Amino acid sequence: MSKNTLYGIFDCELVLLAAVKEVRANKIEIKEVYSPFPIHGLDKALGLKETRMAITAFIYGCIGLSLAALMIYNIMIIDWPQNIGGKPNFTFYHNMPAFIPIMFECTVLFAAHLMSITYLIRNGLYPGAASDCPDPRTTDDKFLMEIEVEGDLAALKAMLTKNGATEINEKDA
Amino acid sequence: MTKAKKYWKGLAELNNDPIVDKLKQNEFVEEIPVDKFLGDSDISSTSTSRRDFLKFLGFSTAAATLAACETPVNKAIPYVIKPEEVTPGVANFYATTMYDGHDYASILVKTREGRPIKIEPNKTGTNARIQASVLSLYDSSRLKNPMKLGVKSDWNTVDADITAELEKISADGGNIAFLTATILSPSTKQLIADFSSKYKNVRHVQMDAVSSHGTLEANETSFGVRALPMFRFDKAAVIVSFGADFIGNWGHPNNEKDYALGRNPNDGKMSKHYQVESSLSLTGSNADERIQIKPSEQAGLLSNLLNALNGGDADIRIAKMAADLSKNPGNSIVVCGSNDTKIQILVNAINDKLGNYENTITLSAPSYLKQGNDNDVAQLITDMNDGNIAALITYNVNPSYSLKNAAGYNSGLEKVSLTISTSLYNDESASKMMYVCPDNHYLESWGDAIPTHGEYTFMQPTISPLFNGRQFQESMMSWMGESDYHTYLQNYYSFADWNQSVHDGYFTSNDGKMNPKSFAATIPSFDLSKSEAIEFEMTEKISMGDGSQSNNPWLQELPDPLSRACWDNYLTISASTAGDLGITNWNISNGALNGSMVNVTVNGTTLNNVPVMIQPGQANSTVALAVGYGRTAAGKCGNDIGFNAFSLGNGDAIIEVVDGEYEFAAVQLHHTMMGRDIVKETTLADFIVDPTSGNHKTLYATHDGPKTGDKVSLWDEFDHSTGHFWNMSIDLTLCTGCAACVISCHAENNVPVVGKEEIRKSRDMHWLRIDRYFSSDMTKELSAEEKISAIDMYAEMEDPSGNPETVYQPVMCQHCNHAPCETVCPVAATSHGAEGQNHMAYNRCVGTRYCANNCPYKVRRFNWFQYSDNDKFDFNMNDDYGKMVLNPDVVVRSRGVVEKCSMCIQQIQAIKLDAKNTGRTVRDEDAQTACSSACSTNAIVFGDVNDNSHQIQGLKKDSRSYQLLDHLNVDPSVFYQTKIRNKA
Amino acid sequence: MHKESEIRDPLILGNKSYHDITKDIAFPVEGKANKYWWILFSLSLVLFLWGVVSMAYTIGTGIGAWGLNKTVNWAWDITNFVWWIGIGHAGTLISAVLLLFRQKWRMSINRSAEAMTIFGVAQAALFPLIHMGRPWLAYYVFPIPNQFGSLWVNFNSPLLWDVFAISTYFSVSVVFWYIGLIPDFAMLRDRMSAKTAPLKKQLYSFLSFGWSGKAKHWQRFEEVSLVLAGLATPLVFSVHSIVSMDFATSIIPGWHTTIFPPYFVLGALFSGFAMVETLLIIMRKVVNMEAYITIKHIEYMNIIILLTGSLVGTAYITELFMSWYSGVEFEQYAFLNRATGPYWWAYAIMMTCNVLTPQLYWFSSIRKSFIATFILSIFVNIGMWFERFVIIVTSLHRDYLPSAWTMFSPTFIDIGIYLGTIGFFFVLFLLYARTFPVIAQAELKSIVKSSGSEYKNKK
Repeated sequence: MSKNTLYGIFDCELVLLAAVKEVRANKIEIKEVYSPFPIHGLDKALGLKETRMAITAFIYGCIGLSLAALMIYNIMIIDWPQNIGGKPNFTFYHNMPAFIPIMFECTVLFAAHLMSITYLIRNGLYPGAASDCPDPRTTDDKFLMEIEVEGDLAALKAMLTKNGATEINEKDA
Repeated sequence: MTKAKKYWKGLAELNNDPIVDKLKQNEFVEEIPVDKFLGDSDISSTSTSRRDFLKFLGFSTAAATLAACETPVNKAIPYVIKPEEVTPGVANFYATTMYDGHDYASILVKTREGRPIKIEPNKTGTNARIQASVLSLYDSSRLKNPMKLGVKSDWNTVDADITAELEKISADGGNIAFLTATILSPSTKQLIADFSSKYKNVRHVQMDAVSSHGTLEANETSFGVRALPMFRFDKAAVIVSFGADFIGNWGHPNNEKDYALGRNPNDGKMSKHYQVESSLSLTGSNADERIQIKPSEQAGLLSNLLNALNGGDADIRIAKMAADLSKNPGNSIVVCGSNDTKIQILVNAINDKLGNYENTITLSAPSYLKQGNDNDVAQLITDMNDGNIAALITYNVNPSYSLKNAAGYNSGLEKVSLTISTSLYNDESASKMMYVCPDNHYLESWGDAIPTHGEYTFMQPTISPLFNGRQFQESMMSWMGESDYHTYLQNYYSFADWNQSVHDGYFTSNDGKMNPKSFAATIPSFDLSKSEAIEFEMTEKISMGDGSQSNNPWLQELPDPLSRACWDNYLTISASTAGDLGITNWNISNGALNGSMVNVTVNGTTLNNVPVMIQPGQANSTVALAVGYGRTAAGKCGNDIGFNAFSLGNGDAIIEVVDGEYEFAAVQLHHTMMGRDIVKETTLADFIVDPTSGNHKTLYATHDGPKTGDKVSLWDEFDHSTGHFWNMSIDLTLCTGCAACVISCHAENNVPVVGKEEIRKSRDMHWLRIDRYFSSDMTKELSAEEKISAIDMYAEMEDPSGNPETVYQPVMCQHCNHAPCETVCPVAATSHGAEGQNHMAYNRCVGTRYCANNCPYKVRRFNWFQYSDNDKFDFNMNDDYGKMVLNPDVVVRSRGVVEKCSMCIQQIQAIKLDAKNTGRTVRDEDAQTACSSACSTNAIVFGDVNDNSHQIQGLKKDSRSYQLLDHLNVDPSVFYQTKIRNKA
Repeated sequence: MHKESEIRDPLILGNKSYHDITKDIAFPVEGKANKYWWILFSLSLVLFLWGVVSMAYTIGTGIGAWGLNKTVNWAWDITNFVWWIGIGHAGTLISAVLLLFRQKWRMSINRSAEAMTIFGVAQAALFPLIHMGRPWLAYYVFPIPNQFGSLWVNFNSPLLWDVFAISTYFSVSVVFWYIGLIPDFAMLRDRMSAKTAPLKKQLYSFLSFGWSGKAKHWQRFEEVSLVLAGLATPLVFSVHSIVSMDFATSIIPGWHTTIFPPYFVLGALFSGFAMVETLLIIMRKVVNMEAYITIKHIEYMNIIILLTGSLVGTAYITELFMSWYSGVEFEQYAFLNRATGPYWWAYAIMMTCNVLTPQLYWFSSIRKSFIATFILSIFVNIGMWFERFVIIVTSLHRDYLPSAWTMFSPTFIDIGIYLGTIGFFFVLFLLYARTFPVIAQAELKSIVKSSGSEYKNKK
């Protein structure tokens, strides 16, 4: 039996949110939701996992910090220790105060950039990538719920309409 | 490559000629041992083996490598025959004598690859002009050929013509006159004698641009000796100078050194120096007490002084001085700068009265540095105008410029049938002569001199003549049909050890002393009068002297020690007189100094649009103008700078303010210390009581008790107690501000000349500057007493007093051991050396100028433009000859980098190498910087404080020593010694 | 779902629906430029070209082309540098700090504010480069061994800290900006028809990285924005603190001051907000955004300016007090000379523009007037330029040894370069206004229901 994909299109994020809850309450799997702007609580409603972007940022930051420290240690203390303004060049610890600004900057540099790159990769976003959104209006003012169903379409359509879908399209797989 | 290959041994085999087969069997024929060579025994049907492959590979690689490797060609042109004494990269020193008709010095010349590049003192000290004279050698404005009637000629023609003319003249019994500067060379005088015996009726007239005629005449009348006395300023307890600038330009070059010797506070013996003058001179600025008078008062005061010494009552201004003098008979010196015979007789009388002769003043071994006779010159000019002179030969003089009566001279010149100049330049006078037979520079010449009785110094060439010139003596000889002055000179000194003398540069003969008769002259007397008019007086600048070197960019850009302005001369005037006349000086938006202009008329001569500079220390209603400027034919960089004071002469001045403003180029725009503790100063009296007086170190509270700033540091110090630790001590009591060190630094370190416009923008490049501060009437104490607000106090502090006390402070890179400049350089282009210097890596510098901002002493200099090979800066570094003076040991900085004093690190490296080669430790006395070696008074002492034998160690611990701005705790390697003034 | 008090004035006027917002934001990109735009653009272009010529001349002949001298080795160059950096700060503050504080009103202005940041920092970055004596060796300041041997950079130098701080600040700002731009580019992409505007379509699909607005992406989007904001906030404070350390860590009286870091950061926000106002008041006219950039936004910013202005004033007073209280005569003279010396007029301008004029914002009539705000914002910009000039030049021109004291006056080249960067800045900004979604529409749509006028009025 063929698998169908239903697109329920909504006009208002609040209606959509309610609909999502309703649909999932009926044990129906929602494949994806497309919206023009972030809708608070939608991820919960869809039962999406917490994202781990923040954790990656923390890790990258630590990498940045240690790389900076290593670089400075090697340059100022190991490779060519110089008497600069009579400031001690014997140990990293002694000069540390002068190095803090750059170590901080490197931390931020790594955290911010690597996290953003990870973000793009995880989302599969890259220059020139094609959008796989079924309906272009979702970047404007429409909210789209994508459901993959086998079997009774009519019931589902009825439910979506009941829940405020202004328009329902279906696509044969 | 397979060895199954078949090699034909010729067409015969190819054509299967039977004979070949036969030959094949033949035992004589050998197979070529290709296989052995390829190291493969069995040759049948094997393809190339690995080992062959490696062999071929190896061979081809080797071949390729050989083919590829072509040694680079260095286009260095070596000596065809290397002079044995010249080693590339190693400096040679030659002893010689500098004399250009105005300045005399016995010097050492440093040459590199046969080029003289630096002047060091030998028997005498050197001043700025002598230090700079090495650049005049490479002056491309010098005459490159003899000239006839103003056009280029050659020696044969010129000689032929001149000899012919001379013979004709002497045949007709015409008069021949030599007009020369003072001639110190006995051999030259001999030559002139020879000359006059060959051509009859020869007259020799000597003239000095800045004349001492009066003194010479006075000594003639008083003592029967027509010479200048030698002064022993080191022996005198009291020195009184009436307008004689004996440290700067007056008298013997060793005066400065002697003066300093007599002023060492540490052993309590310090001479008391009074200066009585109208315009502030270098000497006056060093005086313990300075009395301002008008020139017209001088004679009266001298009479009054003599009168006082004879028991009369002294004028209030000089009472103290008179008392001091009478307390020190035979132990004092009174000198006077006047050129008036009567006044000089009076001075002689005073010294005689004090019994100074043969104690502090000697005429038995007098100085011959000035022999010019104004009367003879006057007579010559009259005779010329009367047409009684047939031939005139000038040497070392520029009468058309330096004579007051230049007009008379020029008109007379037209009546002379043969005029020959031997000037190095086609100058104001030479251009008016028929023949110019350019002399050689003293560094290209042989010669001798008697600066003082019984002392001979020698001149030897240190480079072969750059141009087609010929030294004066040679010319004279060739006109007498002789030649080879060198031999002539050698023969003349048959009585001395020639080689040794030339090597040393001098020898002292034991020819007996002169015996001056005891003082006998009618003592003139003057009454204390004072003219109400504004009086004008000619002065002489440290930098320019009589102007003979005015085409020397180093000297033009040398700031005057007192006004701190360069590239100009100007009428100096006191603030109050300026106020009366409505004359002002002001700073424009970028700080540059501008001033009013006047027309000044003296003795009927008028100079128009002369700039006026307000000079603290100038007596009221007097004005002064320095000689040596206003040259019109000096060369590209000396022409049309300033005004010719020679043309005025001393006398009453009429001053008329005119519209328009003049642009000065001053390197120091602010003249007082603003009540800051920069030059620490105390009086001798206080110093004797408390050696630390004026130099009390601030104590800072720390966790373990109060400590001086240098003991309080955030970090563990770097250890400088081992190896060398180069330090420099500068004694502010001994420093006279003569600026010889500045030029010496210029020469040693290839410091660029930037020109007037850049100086106006405060972009002077001097690595070593001599700050000059005047005292102000406003002090913190005063403002505290009178409850003056800080704003008003500082405002008033900016104005120097009318008759200020002056201090000089040489400032170069202080080589801080906690250098603020090093910390801030993003690219680590400047960092600290193990021997205590602050290094500067020009290659690494990107020119952020952060270091220069963060330098509390503002000694770092930025190359705002490309200063070498740039037509916008057309000075010696943009001139093929001028560049020959560059020191090959010091890089010429490119645009966009910061530069500064390196403590002459190239010299330190040189002595280290020398020590290494000769297998000994570095001798500390060898260690000299350009400034320390040029310092006549030994105010600048350089050395290794880790060397217990060196005086610098003591100096560093001395109670007078302090670091500039020590509260910053930047811990400089340069330290100063408190200035001590001998006054109550 | 975000709730908002009903008393608050609406942040979006004219009962906008989602689609209206889309239309309005897309309008400047799709429509033709009006005449204001062309006038401003050509004007800026002229200035920019003048600047280019001046810079070329400087690099060709040498820094001597400027008015600097042996004592005043920095003047307009670093003044402009600090001024531009300062201006940049408001952008980051608005987009990052206000995001952390959940300030909804930032949404209509943060995009442009960030654009200003990026363009401003770009101008600033020019100066450290061209003020070098040998700019062609600028790469020496990066930690790479130099060809003359293993010479490294000096990590003790505040200038090197600048290098790192500014490059980090610039690149992070760009990333932050772009992450937010992606969904809006997607919106533009989807509006463009492949037939009428194929090129634009391609361009925006390229720029939008194939964004499709999936729920998971939005979730990550929000988290990333939040973290970036969290990173950018300390960054923005660090950058100007480090810039201030160029002076604070030196030993020149008037520079050597511990209050510089906070004082500079405040000054930066102060001038930054002023510049945001200058720009937005122009922009809302030039690209018809009156409905989104309302007097409310302006008033909020005026309040911040009033606050920071007063704080900056306090800093000035503190400085004066400390110099007197320190008892160090050099310090005392430095500040005395600032106020009463040859550059008293610069000090006066600084005091008037930075301390006095912002006090006018106590009057709500002025606070709520576009014209007044526009004029005052210009005043503040001038005042803050003079603050840096005063700090740099009056401290240098009379420091420790009176023998080295002198003055500074700019040359035409100095002036040319400064105006040139202003021109460059506006060229960039005006181009941006015609090609980018000037308002973060995706975010904005999320508050229509709570802060849109329609919904306010319903209740």
